[in-house]
Amino acid sequence: MHKYKKFVALLIVSLMVFGSLSACGSGSKGTTEANTDAAETDQETTSGEATGVTSEKITLTTVSMMGGTDPNTERYQEVIDAFMEKYPNVTVEDSSQMSDQTWKAKVAAQFSVGDEPDVIQFFTDNNASEVLAADQFVTIDEIREVYPEYAAAIVDNAWKASANPDGVNRAVPTTGFWEGLFCNKDLFDKYELALPTDWDSFITAVKTFKENGIIPIAVSLNEVPHYWIEHLMLSAAGGEEFTSIPETAPESWIKGLEILKELYEMGAFPEDSQTITNDAAGELFKTKQAAMQLDGSWYAGGIDDQENTVVVAFPVVEGGQKGPNDIIGGLSSGFYITKKAWDDPLKRAAAVEFVMMNTSPEQIAIYWNGNGMATVELEAPADMTPLGLAGLELGNAATGTFAPTDARLIGEAYSSITTSTVDLVNGTKTAEEILNNALQINMDSQE
Amino acid sequence: MPRILNNKKPISVGRLIIYIVLAIWSVTTIYPFIWVIINSFKSSNEVVRNSFSLPEAFTWENFTNAFSNQNILRSYKNSLIISGSVTIVVMILATMIAFALTRYQFRLKTALLALLSASLMIPVFSTIIPVYKMISQLGWISTYQAVILPQIAGNISFASIVMMGFLRGLPLEMEEAAYMEGAGVTKVFTRIIVPLCRPSLATVAIFCFLWSYNDLFTQKILISRERMFPISNLLEHISSKYGTDYGLMAASVTLIVIPVLIVYIFLQKNIVKGLTAGAIKG
Amino acid sequence: MLYKKKTPLIAFLLPGFAMLLIFLYVPFVDNINNSFYNMKGFIELQKFIGLSNYKEMLQDAKLHTSLINSLKMMGLTVVFQVGIALLLAILVSNIKRGQQFFRTVYFFPIVISATAIGLLFNLFYNYKGGALNQLLQTFGKEPVNWMAATTAFVMIIIPTIWSYVGFYFVIILTGLFDISDEIYEAASIDGCTKAQAVIRITLPLLRGVLCTCITLAVTGALKVFDLPWVIAPQGAPGGITHFMGTYMYQIAFVNLNVDYGAAIAVAIVVLGVIVSLVINKILKPDANL
Repeated sequence: MHKYKKFVALLIVSLMVFGSLSACGSGSKGTTEANTDAAETDQETTSGEATGVTSEKITLTTVSMMGGTDPNTERYQEVIDAFMEKYPNVTVEDSSQMSDQTWKAKVAAQFSVGDEPDVIQFFTDNNASEVLAADQFVTIDEIREVYPEYAAAIVDNAWKASANPDGVNRAVPTTGFWEGLFCNKDLFDKYELALPTDWDSFITAVKTFKENGIIPIAVSLNEVPHYWIEHLMLSAAGGEEFTSIPETAPESWIKGLEILKELYEMGAFPEDSQTITNDAAGELFKTKQAAMQLDGSWYAGGIDDQENTVVVAFPVVEGGQKGPNDIIGGLSSGFYITKKAWDDPLKRAAAVEFVMMNTSPEQIAIYWNGNGMATVELEAPADMTPLGLAGLELGNAATGTFAPTDARLIGEAYSSITTSTVDLVNGTKTAEEILNNALQINMDSQE
Repeated sequence: MPRILNNKKPISVGRLIIYIVLAIWSVTTIYPFIWVIINSFKSSNEVVRNSFSLPEAFTWENFTNAFSNQNILRSYKNSLIISGSVTIVVMILATMIAFALTRYQFRLKTALLALLSASLMIPVFSTIIPVYKMISQLGWISTYQAVILPQIAGNISFASIVMMGFLRGLPLEMEEAAYMEGAGVTKVFTRIIVPLCRPSLATVAIFCFLWSYNDLFTQKILISRERMFPISNLLEHISSKYGTDYGLMAASVTLIVIPVLIVYIFLQKNIVKGLTAGAIKG
Repeated sequence: MLYKKKTPLIAFLLPGFAMLLIFLYVPFVDNINNSFYNMKGFIELQKFIGLSNYKEMLQDAKLHTSLINSLKMMGLTVVFQVGIALLLAILVSNIKRGQQFFRTVYFFPIVISATAIGLLFNLFYNYKGGALNQLLQTFGKEPVNWMAATTAFVMIIIPTIWSYVGFYFVIILTGLFDISDEIYEAASIDGCTKAQAVIRITLPLLRGVLCTCITLAVTGALKVFDLPWVIAPQGAPGGITHFMGTYMYQIAFVNLNVDYGAAIAVAIVVLGVIVSLVINKILKPDANL
């Protein structure tokens, strides 16, 4: 045992030595680092463009939410590569990741202890409340004092929509999203049904599909009931009441949610809607076993049949106040620069240049690719599919675009609604209870 | 190997039944493994539609995808360093604790045992943020030690308890003999206990390594620099709100699993060696 | 017992417990502290609320469900996980050929991440197109909603227990190897049958190891998270399949009610300590020494 243990110990120690040598300097922050991953070329950079990017060797730490299977992941990486090629002395250390609860917690923790990155693409609404509380971002106005052309092409509406909850703009938005009711048009045609642009057609469709063995609506009540909750509330309450934050739940919100229970009892949802995963629910829709699915613009890209699938605005419930073409959508993320980077004379220009590279009209066109909303004036791409065009039409025809509830209520309050959905359809909790509880939590947190 | 039956007998019905039972169980354990490997060669859509048969459209795409998500070799290195260090340190500290708690009688013993069991219970979710704060105050975020130290703490209780179980099964005669002859406690520990425990040490070591290796949660929170990510971080790249890529997931799991199996087989050989050489001597 | 001088004792205990202190106990005390406050997000303590989280626990129906489920799981893991592992270990130690094979192969489920295993079982249990329902349909039967309220618990228990049998199997097998052959030889010379040998010799000598396994199984049942969460996130359907571990995660990381989650963590630890002390009293693992 001695010999074996000694051998392994020696192996591990030598690996550690080797490891720490090749990953040297991992303990200190913000110092220059020799890096074999950098796209190093032999040429010396002059002192950069008009933005004055330093010619010193620096490392720019960046984070974005474009990770995992997001189609923009690759496009973002291409920007990073192009940036490093243009400025060979700058190493971009990017740790992008798809956003989930654990990741959000981590980012918040990073900001609270001073380990934040230089540039981060993050939420601009209440999803970012903890991070914003650390107050580590420079505002757009501050940046424009030094760089007047910063993000000049972004349209006014986009600035308004992407302001932080305190009304100040800190992030440069690139793309936004819309949400709508995706429909398998071929199934509608097969049963000679009109698309569900109004409530009567919607209910007729639900009943007809149910009778014919097609699942009317694909949804995972357990994992992602979010869109249904919000759209029913918007549909019943209308934009103004939907986006308010009252003390107690208005009648319209309650009525909206109660419709969810009615739909459940009608059999509009899959048999296992209480346990099915969101992915599996999506599969039901994509394989034409379900007729409708309520989701967002990002969903369009994953649908195989782009010819026979359309997306329409959610219909207005009986007695509802929403305009027929009002939709839920908005801008909820953008590129921030942290004070850490801004105050560092070596990093400031590089950070600014990095963001500008990601937010130039050309780059926004690439990120947008016709899907969702763009924050600059753009032509639609030439080669869009019928579904893509339907989505574009949805966004263009919108008479009002309202941000979803999680932009207004704090996380704990909002999640108390979504995690009570199953209780709602089972009758163990009433809509009124659920909503009032959420509003209470939200109020308590404001103290 | 304990021999209860006489080995010279031909295969009896009893033996046959034993083999059948064992074989049935092994089918249940092998199947998922094969399932993962087969599915790593399918596209995500195919996995969901048709996960139980051979690939219709065999593809290497998932693997090339995985390789482009993360520097695989570097990630293996990170994992090996982190989990290797954790395992070695835990084995040393845990065996010491186990020895002390089984061979000594003292007042605080029950209290310490309770503390040890308590630490076994502490969910990692509840301590991760305070640990994060601590680590960042030391300036150690995204370093190896950032993950190694908390993982050591997380594993010591488990390893100690298991080693205590094994040590209780060791008869005291040999230690008594050596001690009576004047050997100091340390000598008894290193020259007698440790060699005798070789199979147990290897067993606990593999679990330690495995647990540390697969602990994505701790690694995710305490490491933010991409070049320090261990291999289990591959699982972070497989989904987004755009959907989950199940083919990529299967490929990532396959890539993650391979080194562990190698370590396990390597350590297993040592368990066997430990038996045939230097077993209990009279 | 054996050793007279107590000084080396400190040297043996100190380094390990020091690590535990710094990286486990101190952060957990922080966690305990958190449970007495209302928290905003993960870091900020907002308002002191004393024991109100604990009072809430007494009335939280979902917590009670989680507790009962965890207790059920504890019983099931001892009987099945440890039981099957014990059986398999004794069987494997009795055969000559194929030992290496079985030892390697039984280990597989533990190595594969819970995410993959969870997905596999999800694909079994899916209502539309899942393997089990497909099988039923080939026999002309109606598809079953395996994850319905009545059967969900069982469907989750099966993979959770199955996947960790290998863990206890390896530990018990190693313990079996520690029993010297000579004892068995002496016994068989004295006319002891195989079955008697197992009961009279193997089991008693395995006492320490079995006690460990049972302790780990029971405490593991309290903490279990990965697999149940992947198969039935958020205790689907309707929170009835929550265990203490998954419920704590849900409260802290999904509902973002971090302080209540902290209180649940405290409850888990207290419960676990009580249970393991009880087990130690009953099984008396030190009886052999």
